[in-house]
Amino acid sequence: MTLKDWARKKSIWVFDVNAASCNGCDIEILDAFTPRYDVERIGVVLVPSPRHADVLLVTGTVNAMMKDRLKTIYEQMSEPKYVVAVGACALGGGVYKGCYNVGHGVDKVIPVNLYIPGCPPRPEAIIFGILKLVTGEPPDPKEEE
Amino acid sequence: MSEEEKERREVGAGLMEYSPENLVPFGPVHPSLKEPEYFKLILEGEKIVEVHPRIGYVHRGIERAAQDRTWVKNIYLFERICGICSFAHSLAYTEGTESLTEFQIPVRAKYLRVLIAELERIHSHLLWLGLVGYWTGFDTLFMWIWKDREHVLDLLEAITGNRVHKSFSTLGGVRKDLTPALVSKLEEETKFITERVKYYETLVHSEETLVSRTRGVGRLTKEIAERLCPVGPLLRCSGIDRDVRKEDPYAAYEFIQPEVKTSNAGDIESLLSIRLAEVTDSCRMISEALDRLPEGPVRVPFPRIIPRGDAFFHVEAPRGELFYFIRSNGTPKPERVKIRTPTLANLLTAAEMLKGRPLADVPVVLTGIDPCFGCMDRVTVIDVDKSKKWSVSGEELRVYGIEYYRRGAGKR
Amino acid sequence: MIEEELSAMAAELSGKLSRVRKSFVLQVSPEKVKDACQHVSQLDGYYHLSTVTGADMGDKISVMYHFWKGKEFVTVEADVPKSDRHLPSISSELPSALLYEAEVKDLLGVVFDGNPLMGTRLLLPDIYPEDAPPPLTKEADPEKIRKMMELE
Repeated sequence: MTLKDWARKKSIWVFDVNAASCNGCDIEILDAFTPRYDVERIGVVLVPSPRHADVLLVTGTVNAMMKDRLKTIYEQMSEPKYVVAVGACALGGGVYKGCYNVGHGVDKVIPVNLYIPGCPPRPEAIIFGILKLVTGEPPDPKEEE
Repeated sequence: MSEEEKERREVGAGLMEYSPENLVPFGPVHPSLKEPEYFKLILEGEKIVEVHPRIGYVHRGIERAAQDRTWVKNIYLFERICGICSFAHSLAYTEGTESLTEFQIPVRAKYLRVLIAELERIHSHLLWLGLVGYWTGFDTLFMWIWKDREHVLDLLEAITGNRVHKSFSTLGGVRKDLTPALVSKLEEETKFITERVKYYETLVHSEETLVSRTRGVGRLTKEIAERLCPVGPLLRCSGIDRDVRKEDPYAAYEFIQPEVKTSNAGDIESLLSIRLAEVTDSCRMISEALDRLPEGPVRVPFPRIIPRGDAFFHVEAPRGELFYFIRSNGTPKPERVKIRTPTLANLLTAAEMLKGRPLADVPVVLTGIDPCFGCMDRVTVIDVDKSKKWSVSGEELRVYGIEYYRRGAGKR
Repeated sequence: MIEEELSAMAAELSGKLSRVRKSFVLQVSPEKVKDACQHVSQLDGYYHLSTVTGADMGDKISVMYHFWKGKEFVTVEADVPKSDRHLPSISSELPSALLYEAEVKDLLGVVFDGNPLMGTRLLLPDIYPEDAPPPLTKEADPEKIRKMMELE
């Protein structure tokens, strides 16, 4: 860990975008913040603006209406920023693959650091995914290219 | 034109008229937490004059995709229309398709369908009540209720195998059967939920935070309800006792009858009491279903090809009447499936309820109709008096609403 | 009883009444849709318009208005030729049809004359190509539309 990384290490603040999902994943994300799972105990806070957020949780297939708006939201975030795709639709279109108004995955629109599969993933899986960002070294999509 | 006709035109008819000065360009969307949805509000000072909804932010094209998929594959597609009432969708689709054939579904499967449908109603209503707590600034209620909701999700997971998309109902019956251990767990948990709901019932009518934000807010009269045709609890809070489960029983609802609760108050507070009463009633129906649960198989083999014909089918989803039109042309794929979700039916009524209310009531009223998850993000505000435009996010509006009532401006 | 009233209505509007299981379907010509819907909605208890459905049946589009009471649906059905997709709007009499008609217009291209929402889009994205056929018609190819909207 470089000094810069160390200095920038803090509690993770997340922002959740529903880009044309069925709500299932969004509710499971919200569930992770309620007493049974309570991710706030490890410092994860749901913030109302992408400008405050470190991590962008994207659910859904990213349809034509949400595509540009998702890009704008991503650009509004300040560095260092991470994107987590939550749920089967965000990974590759899921059950809606082939519909006329859906994209096939979040990574076609913005770079994604971490994928959480499931339809929808359980709150435990979402917490595990966020924790991977804190403890592990998440892959950098820009470097891979 | 007679007086009566004139008034008939006024309600709703002018609701959606767009004049050039009303058209506001979309700004960058700021969907915090909730489903993206867009409402244009036209204000006179603090008062709302017009509401223009624009939907389609989560439009995926499911009706079209259904035409290219087989009858069985479509169950999984329709289930994923909504993550809250997913079982209601699969139930409406499977029962509607079954009504096109002569097949008799085992009675035990019908009872199990009722069981899961009612569990889903409990979870959906509790989720909604928690959100009302959240939007009114009563976060403790939100946390408590979502904690209790976990008990229902545990049950759903134990019975069906998944918390959200259950894939329980299938063509010809249901996928899984109950075990004796599950039956006793169900009885235990429904008792727990009934107890908790009793407490919440006293809470919502006595706690100042909630009462000041919900009593008399967004009044819906019977006349408007008859004209705009809302569905579900919203219809019942205006005094009309229509419930698909009672009027047009499907699954095993002819054996396990619901008690339809209505209220004449037509405000958000009455919606709270109706939904809480429905949760208690659902608990009763679950224990009744468990008592009477007949023995037998839960599934029969079902053909891959459905005979030609049309089916008009509706079920009572947690949010109200969910309508399915299914047309088969005798092939392995449906010719046309049309779905009308309860939120679309309730949208105009919500717009009507908002008229004349202060801006601070927007979150509560829009959440009051229980849109698939507080669809109230990205509200563009136009102030007619100051001819000023600004945009607020749902979160900012929430804080604004809480502040507005804290200042005492809400006390009339 | 409802059957008698509906068959009288069918005779008056020169339509055809048929029965689909426990529901009634009243087929009328496009110009009589408004009268038929108004009549049905004034029957005792049939004021609830469940929805408006459109279906592409090859050379024509059938538009159905579903009214519900008790155990029955009464459906008013009209066939619109594909070459001339126009129907009178019932939204001035039955305001609940506003959004349903706008949905049919978006997905099948049937224009309801008199509905104030016809100039805007309700469901389809703003970038949906103007020259592409409406998505629920048989001509529409989801793959092509996706490519046109650059969703790949």
